[in-house]
Amino acid sequence: MTVVSEAMPPSAAMKIREATVRRFALTDTIFRTATRFSAILVLLILGGVAVSLFAGSWQALSTFGFSFLTTESWNPVTEKFGALAPIYGTIITSAIAILIAVPIGIGIAVFLTELCPRPLRRPIGIAVELLAGIPSIIYGIWGLFVFAPFLQTTVQPFVIDLFKGIPGLSNLFAGPPYGIGMLTSALILAIMVLPFITSISKDVFDTVPSVLKESAYGIGCTTWEVTRRVVIPYTRVGIMGGVMLGLGRALGETMAVTFVIGNAHRISASLFAPGTTISATIANEFTEADGELYTSSLVALGLILFVITLVILAIARYMLMRIDARTGA
Amino acid sequence: MSTAESLHQSRKRKNAVMMTLCVAAAGIGLAWLALILGALLYKGVSGLSLSVFTEMTPPPGEAGGLLNAIAGSLIMTIIAVVVGTPIGVLAGTYMAEYGRFSKLTTIVRFINDILLSAPSIIVGLFVYELLVRPMGHFSAIAGAFALAILVIPVVVRTTEDMLTLVPNSLREAGTAIGAPRWIVIKSVAYRAALSGIVTGILLAIARISGETAPLLFTALNNQFWSGNLNAPMASLPVTIFQFALSPYEEWQQLAWTGALIITLTVLGLSIFARSLTGRREDR
Amino acid sequence: MKPMLSTDLNMAESVTEKTKIEVKNLNFYYGESKALKDISLSLRERSVTAFIGPSGCGKSTLLRVFNRIYELYPKQRAEGQVLLDGKNILDRSQDLNLLRTKIGMVFQKPTPFPMSIYENIAFGVRLYEKLGKGEMDGRVEQALKRAALWTEVKDKLNASGLSLSGGQQQRLCIARTVAVKPEVILLDEPASALDPLSTAKIEELIDELQADYTIVIVTHNMQQAARVSKQTAFMYLGELVEFDATEKIFTSPREKRTQDYITGRFG
Repeated sequence: MTVVSEAMPPSAAMKIREATVRRFALTDTIFRTATRFSAILVLLILGGVAVSLFAGSWQALSTFGFSFLTTESWNPVTEKFGALAPIYGTIITSAIAILIAVPIGIGIAVFLTELCPRPLRRPIGIAVELLAGIPSIIYGIWGLFVFAPFLQTTVQPFVIDLFKGIPGLSNLFAGPPYGIGMLTSALILAIMVLPFITSISKDVFDTVPSVLKESAYGIGCTTWEVTRRVVIPYTRVGIMGGVMLGLGRALGETMAVTFVIGNAHRISASLFAPGTTISATIANEFTEADGELYTSSLVALGLILFVITLVILAIARYMLMRIDARTGA
Repeated sequence: MSTAESLHQSRKRKNAVMMTLCVAAAGIGLAWLALILGALLYKGVSGLSLSVFTEMTPPPGEAGGLLNAIAGSLIMTIIAVVVGTPIGVLAGTYMAEYGRFSKLTTIVRFINDILLSAPSIIVGLFVYELLVRPMGHFSAIAGAFALAILVIPVVVRTTEDMLTLVPNSLREAGTAIGAPRWIVIKSVAYRAALSGIVTGILLAIARISGETAPLLFTALNNQFWSGNLNAPMASLPVTIFQFALSPYEEWQQLAWTGALIITLTVLGLSIFARSLTGRREDR
Repeated sequence: MKPMLSTDLNMAESVTEKTKIEVKNLNFYYGESKALKDISLSLRERSVTAFIGPSGCGKSTLLRVFNRIYELYPKQRAEGQVLLDGKNILDRSQDLNLLRTKIGMVFQKPTPFPMSIYENIAFGVRLYEKLGKGEMDGRVEQALKRAALWTEVKDKLNASGLSLSGGQQQRLCIARTVAVKPEVILLDEPASALDPLSTAKIEELIDELQADYTIVIVTHNMQQAARVSKQTAFMYLGELVEFDATEKIFTSPREKRTQDYITGRFG
């Protein structure tokens, strides 16, 4: 039924094969080089960002030196620029946002992994993640037209009255109620980073071996005790990674903050007062900046933001990598 | 005995309190989503009409539409995806295929993850220094370039993840039949990972379609129709930004309508992207 | 079902005794650890050779040296010589793709490509041959017939390869391998993931294919080795313990370790 030729191609066919193989090897080299080059390009992008920001901010940094970081005044007319107010605003708004978003985010994650009825888990999880996908300008416009007026007319006057005469708190929540300001920005930021913290917490909670949880339940622990004593300690590094990632987001968030922060280059004790952040300053002033030094100072702000977020994000990724390594994911 | 009992009671109470708080947290999270979407629908829908899609952005105090802004966003998004996707897919391919075990891959993965969540306004500054300053003026090309830089890390990440999910046995089978690596990648690995990679591209589009900060000082804005890639170009997000902060009611209304359009686009893309991978998992 | 030993010695002597693959002093390393220790053996042309042994003994590793599929992974390397028709395939100058067109492989788990049944087979053929539509149809049909799959799939050639049952998928993989006309076929536990009926079909197929191909099969199933192979190599801890006619190995092995293994004392 079969002939020898079925198993052995004649030598002419072999010649063709050898030619084909040479062509394949060449294409493979080209393709491999293209992929490798693209991978290196990713590194070059980050490197390019660093270099261009450094070059662009050189004039400001050489003019003001270290005092750029410690000066509050930001005066385009006299061309005296200091980054202290935006740095302060960036750190304060982000810190408040994280303080609010972390407990809520972890709470939602606990709800989703421990309490939520199974059929609801996926839809709610997806809804939370959709919240993460909404562009920041939407939060901004909502914050400016809906949220800030609401705060201005109801929450802020109430809080100002409440803490009137109490040392410390009265300064922290001093009027007048503008609606927009540091606290409003922080609240909007909290809403924006909430989905990140939730979804990462949920992911790392899912890495807890069920044997561990079951044995804790087995000795009579309540759900809260299992969460507090088993799940959270086990996933601490991952949660920290998620928090840092959220912090990175909050620090660099631009549009939502630009709408509601008020753009005032000063450091006020009151959280209700307008302020500014690094990204909001850049977004607001960059296209209007006339003069090399002004532009250079704005780029220098960008460089500071870049360095801060780079460090925070690197720490976040490092922590999340440790979790991945442990679960072998 | 009674102390044990009261301890038990207090533990149960504490549990009930904490669990209630967790439920409340979830309620708050969902309520925010509802509030934002509700406001957006309420304010946006009233301005939604055909003229939004057929008329140019108006001068202050007049009626008009968002045609040039929508068109500008589409043009820049398309260029960004066309430029960014191949680079992202190729880089992801290197990481999952040729360079799976190399040191370079570990470094690129780390850097890419940082780029993935780096502030987009920084990308805007970078492109300003790289393109706008040397060219001497703002341009659509610079805007598209900034968006492309945001597309790349998303596509790199999903491509690598999806190719890593392709079982090695398939690669071995392709290799064992005499196919060179690039054909194994092209005809077997890409095919197996296709829906995942497409999902990544869709998510990247969703991400850039609402990006404002990187466009502010690259593409700037343009009140008129412009097909010139070497000149400033309007985009939906920047137009929304400008109109929302203006004192004119017509502009503010257009900003809300534009915001609604962007949100629906982004949500639609994300849901569609998810349904693609969902189907893949079911199979 | 076939009798326990399908080969009687007379028949075995009647086929060609020509050596197809000769392994000389082969060592294999996974990083620092040595997985194959100084293996030497020769495989006869158009005959079935089985590698048996407990898991981790190196039988699959040895098989994967023959088409150098291990090169997909870093830190795996082979030292020594593997001669295919007298030419050392471990030589650096050996083109790997060309080698793999000569030495096909079927894996433990069925691995149909994510494409149609027809394309699964045409894919490999198209790599090295330019065929017209009619010729290609003929090749696909021929390969599927060879793998005893034609009657089952001839009406749904455009269906996905993944839609077939496990046994059918494995025969599709055999058809795919046969279609590119290799000289040697490597089978890495080809039936271990299949039900008994599918296994019997695969074994029948192996029996038919040896008329044209040199076949090497790795199996953890001793009965299977006895049923399908003419020669059997018993490996243990990376060493080749015993290599002889299958009948000899299963009836009167020289080595005590072989005896212990085939009587089920370990492994």
